[in-house]
Amino acid sequence: MSSATMMTLAGHDYRSAARNRVLAALLVTLLTVTTVSVLIAAFDYQTKLDAYREYRKAAEVAGIQNVAPLQIKPLQLMRPVVEYIEFVGGVIAIALGYLSVARERGNRTLWLLRTRPVSTGELTFGPALGALGLIATLVFSTAGIGVVSIGIWGHDWLNGEELLRLAIWCVASIVYMGIFYCLGAALTAISRVLANGLVAALVVWLVVVLIIPQIGDTMDPDNQLPGGLFKSLNLDKSHETRVLAKFSTYERLRNDLEETSFAKQYERFSFAILEIKVKDKFRDTSIGYVIDATRRNIEWLALYAVVMAGFLYWNVRRSTAHPRGEDA
Amino acid sequence: MITLIAAHQLRMLRRERLFLAILIALLLMTALAGFIGWSSHNTIVKVYEESSAMLASEGKPAPPDPFALKPPLSFLSNMTIYIMLIGALLAIIVGHLAIASDRASGSTRLIFARPVRRSTWFIGKLAGVGSALAIVLAASYVLSIISLVIVNDSLPTAEEFGRLALFYLVSLSYMLLFALVGITAALIVHGRSLALLVALGVWMIVTFMVPQFTSGLRPTASLNPIVNPVDTSQRFFDVTAHFHSVSISELYRDLSAAILQSAPAQSDSVGSSEIVPISAILIVLVLLMAVLVNRLDLSEQASHE
Repeated sequence: MSSATMMTLAGHDYRSAARNRVLAALLVTLLTVTTVSVLIAAFDYQTKLDAYREYRKAAEVAGIQNVAPLQIKPLQLMRPVVEYIEFVGGVIAIALGYLSVARERGNRTLWLLRTRPVSTGELTFGPALGALGLIATLVFSTAGIGVVSIGIWGHDWLNGEELLRLAIWCVASIVYMGIFYCLGAALTAISRVLANGLVAALVVWLVVVLIIPQIGDTMDPDNQLPGGLFKSLNLDKSHETRVLAKFSTYERLRNDLEETSFAKQYERFSFAILEIKVKDKFRDTSIGYVIDATRRNIEWLALYAVVMAGFLYWNVRRSTAHPRGEDA
Repeated sequence: MITLIAAHQLRMLRRERLFLAILIALLLMTALAGFIGWSSHNTIVKVYEESSAMLASEGKPAPPDPFALKPPLSFLSNMTIYIMLIGALLAIIVGHLAIASDRASGSTRLIFARPVRRSTWFIGKLAGVGSALAIVLAASYVLSIISLVIVNDSLPTAEEFGRLALFYLVSLSYMLLFALVGITAALIVHGRSLALLVALGVWMIVTFMVPQFTSGLRPTASLNPIVNPVDTSQRFFDVTAHFHSVSISELYRDLSAAILQSAPAQSDSVGSSEIVPISAILIVLVLLMAVLVNRLDLSEQASHE
């Protein structure tokens, strides 16, 4: 595979995707919605932070030395961004994959490309590189907006470790969206009718991102009552753990079901690295510990990425060198 | 002629493999909804019993059973979410196919070369789409009743039959909304896939984004039929709460919860505050569609993308 050819194809795909109006509308929607979400959270954070500082000052004046640290962490404000990347980001990546194939087939340039000395690998991973470039632009822009919003409106600038955590999350998000890109492109490449490839990919998205996590979520005993079952029973965390230990088979089944969804793997890793959940076991632990403890999530994500990249390569290789179906 | 167009629409859908795949998925999830509800409920009852025994051993009083008065239909509360997710997507595809297939094959030119009025075609298409969705939900209704009989070990009462029918009627209106979104997008946007993406974008905005801005509901919280109260004390939400009446997915969820009696805090009566906005948006979309059909360029050639 020649890197010059790859870069040419990647650059072409990046520019073409950025020029597409529907895709641009989806990207702008995602950026707007994540910005507003972080802004709302940042204002809320600022209020709570100011109240905590006031309380701390008053406690110190009163001679109280052991003031409990603030439960909220600035990276927690990124939670809506994680969720939007998980939901909307998946659709955007599928659209990118679909457009990448549909554009070449629609303009009938795919067959022109095949007359040139371009290998299947270059034809597969060149446009994929361009799409990943666009995805990276989107993810880093979103993260940048988050950092600025937390700093300016939340009155708390992220420190070096938090920025590193955010950068690691960005990489995980690019991999996650990359999996959906491969899915969209692969299914479109083998479909006679382009729209069918898109719909098939969207059905997979629906199952992986919404249905499986939804089933797992509703099977969670604590999600059956507003406010939580254990809270309504006045049970603390230690009681909850002791009771749930007696339902380990049910919990394992529920967990295994959730783990079949790579969206859930991405969500769990993101929540851990960004310290999003207040009562999580990953609170106040080092980056190394989080990466080690979430190795299973990372491995599954990496496995899905490799499998989907292979699936895309196989489908591009399998697609005929001549127009067929609606392209003919 | 209207019947003919509607019947053609139904035949066309029967041949669409993707439509059939999503239909099977919806019916499968309907069957699963009862089982999941029953399985979760059973586990939680056992969790409650364990918790009570543990508290008793510590000399503490057992709290009241939070599920003691849970109505039988609440086992199907997950159906609300499946309609919002799979049902709405199915409706978008049905609406999309109703227009896009004709436009893509160029058969609208052929149809209007015959003495067919645009209004007849438009009403025929609407009837076809409505019938397809009604058939889907009728099958889902039957499956729900079978699930209830298996789970509760008894036939539902007349009131429960009525409530379930009302729930599916409301679901039909909700799905029709998205079918109209699919139709409208297919009429406005040139290119099948792009039209589908636009309709999907609207669905995502309605299902995940609007509830966050009107009620502070996070996207993942939208997947659970039991909604936890969200702290929306900020001034931002004081303003956006006024737009709650246009948050269609929340209105549908509230209405369904009231009909299926799945949320204890939810009012048991079905309110006009939910029905009126849904009906109003349906009417607006039908009118918009009528205008778009009137402006449809009948000289267009077959276009695949």
